[in-house]
Amino acid sequence: MEHRSRIATLVSPPALFLIVLFLLPIGFMALFSFRVGTFGETRNMFTLDHYRDFFANAPLLRLLWRSLLISFWVSIYSVVLAYPIAYYLVFQGGDRKLLLLTIIIVPAWVSYLLRVLAWKVILGSTGILASFIAWIGLDPRESAFLLYSSDAVTVTLVYVWIPFVALPIFAALERIDPHLLEAAADLGCTKFEAFLRVTLPLSLPGVVAGFLFVFIPTVGEYVTPALVGGTEGVMFGNLIQDQFLRGLNWPVGSLMSLAMLAIVLVPLVVFARFFKISDIAGV
Amino acid sequence: MKHPSTFKLILLILNLLMVSVLTACAPPAAEETPDEAAPEETEAMPEPTEEMVEEGGPITIMEWSGYEVTENPYLFPDFADTYTPTLESVTEYIFFAEDPEAFARIQSGVQVDLVHPCESYMGLYVEAGLMQPLDTSRIEYWDDLHPKLKEVGQVDGVQYFMPWDWGYESILVRTDLVEEVPDSWADLWDPQYAGNVMLWDSGQANYGMTALALGYEDPWEVLSPEVVEEVKQKLIELKPNVLTYWTDYTQTWDMPASGEAVLTANAWQDAYGYLVGEGYDVAYIDPAEGRMSWVCGYGILKDAQNIDLVYEFLNAAAAPSSAAGLGNWYWYGHANTAAVDLIDDYIVEFMSLDNIDVIFEETVFYQPITEEERGWLIDMWNDVKAAP
Amino acid sequence: MRLKKMFSPGAIYYWLLAVFLYLPIFLLIIFSFNDSALLRFPLQGFTLQWYRDLRNASELLEAAGNSIVVGVFSSLAATVLGTMAAIAIVRFNFPGRNLFVAVSALPLVIPAVVIGVALLILFRQVFDWDLSLWTVGLGHMVVNIPIVTLIVGARLAGFPDNLEDAAMDLGASYWGAQLRVVLPMSASALLAAFLTAFTTSFDEYAMSVFVVGTESTLPVYMYSLLRFPRRLPLVVAMGGLIMAVSVIVIMFAEWLRTSGERK
Repeated sequence: MEHRSRIATLVSPPALFLIVLFLLPIGFMALFSFRVGTFGETRNMFTLDHYRDFFANAPLLRLLWRSLLISFWVSIYSVVLAYPIAYYLVFQGGDRKLLLLTIIIVPAWVSYLLRVLAWKVILGSTGILASFIAWIGLDPRESAFLLYSSDAVTVTLVYVWIPFVALPIFAALERIDPHLLEAAADLGCTKFEAFLRVTLPLSLPGVVAGFLFVFIPTVGEYVTPALVGGTEGVMFGNLIQDQFLRGLNWPVGSLMSLAMLAIVLVPLVVFARFFKISDIAGV
Repeated sequence: MKHPSTFKLILLILNLLMVSVLTACAPPAAEETPDEAAPEETEAMPEPTEEMVEEGGPITIMEWSGYEVTENPYLFPDFADTYTPTLESVTEYIFFAEDPEAFARIQSGVQVDLVHPCESYMGLYVEAGLMQPLDTSRIEYWDDLHPKLKEVGQVDGVQYFMPWDWGYESILVRTDLVEEVPDSWADLWDPQYAGNVMLWDSGQANYGMTALALGYEDPWEVLSPEVVEEVKQKLIELKPNVLTYWTDYTQTWDMPASGEAVLTANAWQDAYGYLVGEGYDVAYIDPAEGRMSWVCGYGILKDAQNIDLVYEFLNAAAAPSSAAGLGNWYWYGHANTAAVDLIDDYIVEFMSLDNIDVIFEETVFYQPITEEERGWLIDMWNDVKAAP
Repeated sequence: MRLKKMFSPGAIYYWLLAVFLYLPIFLLIIFSFNDSALLRFPLQGFTLQWYRDLRNASELLEAAGNSIVVGVFSSLAATVLGTMAAIAIVRFNFPGRNLFVAVSALPLVIPAVVIGVALLILFRQVFDWDLSLWTVGLGHMVVNIPIVTLIVGARLAGFPDNLEDAAMDLGASYWGAQLRVVLPMSASALLAAFLTAFTTSFDEYAMSVFVVGTESTLPVYMYSLLRFPRRLPLVVAMGGLIMAVSVIVIMFAEWLRTSGERK
């Protein structure tokens, strides 16, 4: 049929591009993790040593776990903080809801580096937060939120991600048929009960999508930890970056990237089982 | 229908974008060479002309931040004076914060003409086949450079690097913010300094100072996986005292100044010079185990382009005027030891700038490392950073 | 009634959060006019020095120029490829469609560091290419194609295909119908997708740093300044300008995208 040639023409270029420049590189990266060294003859030799060392390296695995925890909490906080915004906009926003949503989204389009820098200034020991704490009589140096801590990383990342999370939740809430809520009220539910038993479950795909949308990239974060994390806020991504930009141990770096990829694919696959992209994007 | 006006709108936007692209891409207007002739010291060299720069293009230097001639012309006065109006179109810089980073970036394929590594890495560059030997006959002040320093830049008898700067690593202390001023590397571990210590984000430097703290006289002699492991554990023990890691020298200036970093480890003496000049109560201690010391220099990459301009730069670096700038501003030693009387006396005295043997005999001098040892140190430091 | 709505708990929360989101940005803008090289309080006085310095910061301006070039071309290419993917996904059903959708969307959710590492290995170890603005551009395309596909796909899903069918009934070829009916109707979405891709590319750091060569992009150059604290005021001034431009561009893109939907 004619359609086949149209489909082929439309699908081939993007598919080819993504295969050559996305899928294949990841495959090569996986293969590279088995090489001995990065340059010269060492890069043509195979070994399982890196794998053995990686799984035996308890501190490294614990760092990976700690990074996952930080990402997890950043995602939870972002979702929890963004949900009321989306809810308010959908149910009480009226005609201006898109405008109000845009107001929330706009900060997200300011350069990421600058937004992190701003927090570096706020959290610094002569910054606003420290002055405030001193003003109310506490010792700023005791505060865990200050610069160079994993809490600083968490706060900064939540700040960065809230606008992005608001979108899918907003989209999901918008799609809820208001008649369902009317029906719930008719059947005797209080507003709160209606929320719990109608709105929340129906918005779940958007919530989960938002959660994953933050969680997955944050697992690989290294910029924010480098700028505000100090020694405590080091994340797994920082070590991967080190291996490539300082260490020159690309096989180990590849292995670490691969480990990270495997970990983020798990929630993705689970998500794909229970939801479809059409649930969130409407495509 | 709305479509036609949307189309016009799209065309307008695309036009605006094209215009901005073209203006961004427009080559800088050709600059005129300065009217003044080349400075007196370089009579022997051909006069720099506009053609010379246009032929080969600017030189790209892989450099530590703080040495760029565009911001600090007093470090290479001869070069700066020659090219003053056009300095920024003649030199391009790529900055690094630590030797491994420069090495890794060049190995990864970043193209530069000159690189400024320190003694322990010089051999690695040559081994990796990245460098071309120096034609020392093209460097006017070559004979004024101290022979021991020149030796550091040799590999198998061939001169690859021109020594330029040398100095120390020690602990910089805000004496007004501590009860007890430390007098040894080992004191960094003292619990009274919890949260007050700032370390350099360098596995190699921290290995050196920790090995000293552990009691080894020469960290580089005993460099082995066992000692590295010992050092690693000791560094993990230090973590509660550490506030953060510094990556750029200005952090060793600003954070002691603000009081955030009371003890700054593996600080270079430029920080001391700056803080003393600003009136702070600081000490650059002489630890019981000894200060560490280093020599760094410039080497030409094999595929360097504008060789004439490269040698012009090297000549300016070897000149006495450079020694004066480096010594008086950064309190650093310069390879041209004949020019030491151009530096202020109190600086020369404090830093023993007139006695080059100090770094070889009275301090712990960094030694060349092999590729394997390099790997140990980086892995160790990554493990230390990964530990909770 | 209006008053009650304005002070409802939802509204208060909204405005509190909006303030929280904008405050750090305003802080930076304030510091860009601060007469001091250090980013701390107390403020030292008003100055336009940093903005003036921008004109002489040739390396910074060069990096900005590079980012514009890379952004424009990689976003154009991504828009073309992403639109083709979107048309295929929305209008057709074919074996492997779900897989294609998944692969098209995947780069959006993979951590940037993984994409950067994978591309570095591809370019240096497999192809033995030098790193350059080309490699950066290709990387940006990988990241932007999903964005374009989603935006254009959402728009296409919003109107039925009978208009193209009508055009074809009137004698147009399939491709003619696409060019003369579908694309014009989605023009606002296309432009919005392009602008979104451009803004993403312009701000991209995490992946770019792995594949950038001697010529820097703006975020990579800015980060190197962030690591070297004395340059911060210049970065902040540059940031102030970028902020203003990005905000305008994105608000325009949003208006385009939604005005398309309202038709």
